[in-house]
Amino acid sequence: MASCTSTFDKCLLSLRFLRHLQLRNERFLSTSVFRLAADDNKPPKFTPPPKPVIKDKNQADVSQRKFLSPEFIPPRQRTDPFKFAIERKDMIRRRKVLNIPEFYTGSILAVTMADPNASGKSNRFVGICIQRGGKGLGATFVLRNIIDNQGVEICYELYSPRIQSIEVLKLEKRLDDNLMYLRDALPEYSTVDPNMKPMPFPLAEEVPVNQMKVKMRPKPWSKRWERPKYNVKGIRFDLHLTPEEMEHAQKWAQPWLEYDMLKEYDTSELEEQIFKEVQAEMK
Amino acid sequence: MASWTCRFLLRRGTRLLSQRSATKSPLQLLGCVRTVKSTTWFDEHLTEDNTEYMRKSISEEYRKMTADKLNPLKDEPWQRHEWTEGSRRVGLVALKLGMMPIWTKTGERHAVTMLQVQDCHVIKHLSKEEFDGRTAALVVGGKNVSPFYRSEEHMEMFMNAGVPPKQKVTTFKVSDNAVIKPGTPLYAAHFRPGQYVDVTAKTIGKGFQGVMKRWGFKGQPASHGQTKTHRRPGASGPGGPSRVMKGKKMPGQMGNRYNTAHGLKIWRVNTKYNILYVHGTVPGHKNCLLKVRDTVLPTRSSTLLNLPFPTFFTEEEADLDEDLYAEDMFVHTEPSLTLT
Repeated sequence: MASCTSTFDKCLLSLRFLRHLQLRNERFLSTSVFRLAADDNKPPKFTPPPKPVIKDKNQADVSQRKFLSPEFIPPRQRTDPFKFAIERKDMIRRRKVLNIPEFYTGSILAVTMADPNASGKSNRFVGICIQRGGKGLGATFVLRNIIDNQGVEICYELYSPRIQSIEVLKLEKRLDDNLMYLRDALPEYSTVDPNMKPMPFPLAEEVPVNQMKVKMRPKPWSKRWERPKYNVKGIRFDLHLTPEEMEHAQKWAQPWLEYDMLKEYDTSELEEQIFKEVQAEMK
Repeated sequence: MASWTCRFLLRRGTRLLSQRSATKSPLQLLGCVRTVKSTTWFDEHLTEDNTEYMRKSISEEYRKMTADKLNPLKDEPWQRHEWTEGSRRVGLVALKLGMMPIWTKTGERHAVTMLQVQDCHVIKHLSKEEFDGRTAALVVGGKNVSPFYRSEEHMEMFMNAGVPPKQKVTTFKVSDNAVIKPGTPLYAAHFRPGQYVDVTAKTIGKGFQGVMKRWGFKGQPASHGQTKTHRRPGASGPGGPSRVMKGKKMPGQMGNRYNTAHGLKIWRVNTKYNILYVHGTVPGHKNCLLKVRDTVLPTRSSTLLNLPFPTFFTEEEADLDEDLYAEDMFVHTEPSLTLT
C-alpha cells in the first residue's frame, strides 16, 4: 500500500513539473512574439495616461449605512400619530433643500447660519456636538468649542431656515449620548480648530466609537456626574473620586427602573416603517 | 355599581346556562335578578356576531352618507347673501392635535398649534326667536361617534340634518345673512391664513388648588420662625367694610372650565387634511375638541374682510392649493434664508 502511494506521489510531482515548464515556455514564447511584432511596426504613438479623477470621498458618495435621524422617531405619548406624519412631511421637504448629514454626539460639525448681527450676515461655527435634542421639526443640536479661552456653546435648530449648511468634519461617536460633562472637563477636550479640514470617514462600515475618557477640572462640577442617573462612561472618575465616594454615589441608583415594563418603548418596528417612508420620499 | 354587576351576570349567565344546563340546574347559576329596568343597551338581545355586524354596517353607512352628502342639501339650497359690515360667520369644531414650530421669512421662530377639523357639519339652524331673541344661531357638531348608547331625543337632531352623530355639539351666534343650511360640511378652508381667530375650549383640570397655584400669591417664607404658614392666603381684606369683598381670590377648583384664547393668527391651512395652524397655545389638552371662530377683537377685524362667505364650499373653489400659507411664513420648499 505504502509503495503504491509513493509511486503515485512521484507521478504527480513529475506531472506538476512538466506543467510548470510548459507555463514558463508559454510565457517566454508569448513575450518574444509580442516584441517581434512591435519591432516590425512603427514606434507606438505616445498616449498620455488618463487623468486621475479626484473624488471627494467625504461628501460625494452617499453613505451605504442605514441611518435614520433620531428626530424622526416620535416620542411615546398620547398624540395622534397622524400629527407626526404631517410633521414628517415638512421635515422631508426641508431635507430635500438642505443636506442634513448623518452625525452623532461627539462628531465635529461646521454650521453656516444666516445671522443678522454677524459681519457679512452669515456665521460659520465649528465645534463638537455635545447634545441632540427634540423630536420632529423642533429638533436641536448643541455645538461646543473654546474660543479665546472662553467656552462657547450654540444651540442650533436643525430645521431652521437660517441654517445654510451643515458639514461633518469628523464623524465619530463617543462613549456617551450626552457630552454635557465637557463643560466641567479640561478645556482641551472641547477645543476644536476652527479651520479644521474635513476628515475622511467610512462609508459602509460602522461609525467608529472614540473610546477617549476625559479628565475633569476639580470639583465642584455643574452636575454630580458620578451619580447613576447620568450613567456617564467617558470620565476618568478614578482621578477625581475615591472608591468610597464612587460607592457612595451608588446610593442614588434605581436598579428597579429597568424592569419597569410600563416604561418600555420599543421603537424598532416604528423605526423600520419610518425609514422606509423617508427613503421613498427622499428619492 | 350593583346594577352593572347584575347585567354582567345576566349576559354571561345565559351563555353559561346553555353550556352547562345538561349537568347543573339553572337556578344555581342565575343567582341575581335585574334591578334597573329603565335603560337598555343596544346589544341586549343580540349575539356577538350581530353586534359586530351592526357596528360595521353603521360605520360603513355613515361613511357613505358623508361621502355622498345624503342630507337635506339635495333639496334646493338656501338663498345666499352678500357680506356686509358687521356680518358674523359661523365657526368650526376642531380637534387639537399638538404643537410644532414654524419660521417666518425673517427667520423668527413661532410655536403653532395644529387643529384638525374632523367631520364638522352644520346640524341645526336656530332662528332669532328660537335662540335668544337677539341673533340667529347655528348648531355645529364635530367628530363622528357611535350612534349606540345615545338617546332617541339626542339622535333626532342628527337624523334631521342627515349627518352621523357628533361628539361635540356647540352653538355659534351668526348674523342673519350668514345662515347655512343644516347638513352642510364645514372645512378648514373656512378660515384663511393671515386672519385672526378666537379658540374656546375646556382647560385642563387641576383639581382643588390653593392660592399660590391658582392665583399666583406669594405665600410666606419657608423658615425664619414661620409656624404652619407657608402657602396660606394671608389676610382677606381690610377691616373697614367688616366683610370679605366679592370676588376675593381664594382656593378652589382650578381648570376644567371654558376659556377663550383671543386673537390668534392663522399661519397656514392644509385643505387636504383640514388642518389649521394657529399661533401659540390654545386651552385644552391634546385631542380635545374646541370651538374656533372669527375673532371678536376690534383691532383685528381688518383681517376678516376677504373671507369665504358664509363658508367655504368645495364646489365653488375646487382649485384651492393643498397648503395655504400666510405671506410672511417660510415654506420648507424654499431655499435657506440669506439675510441682507
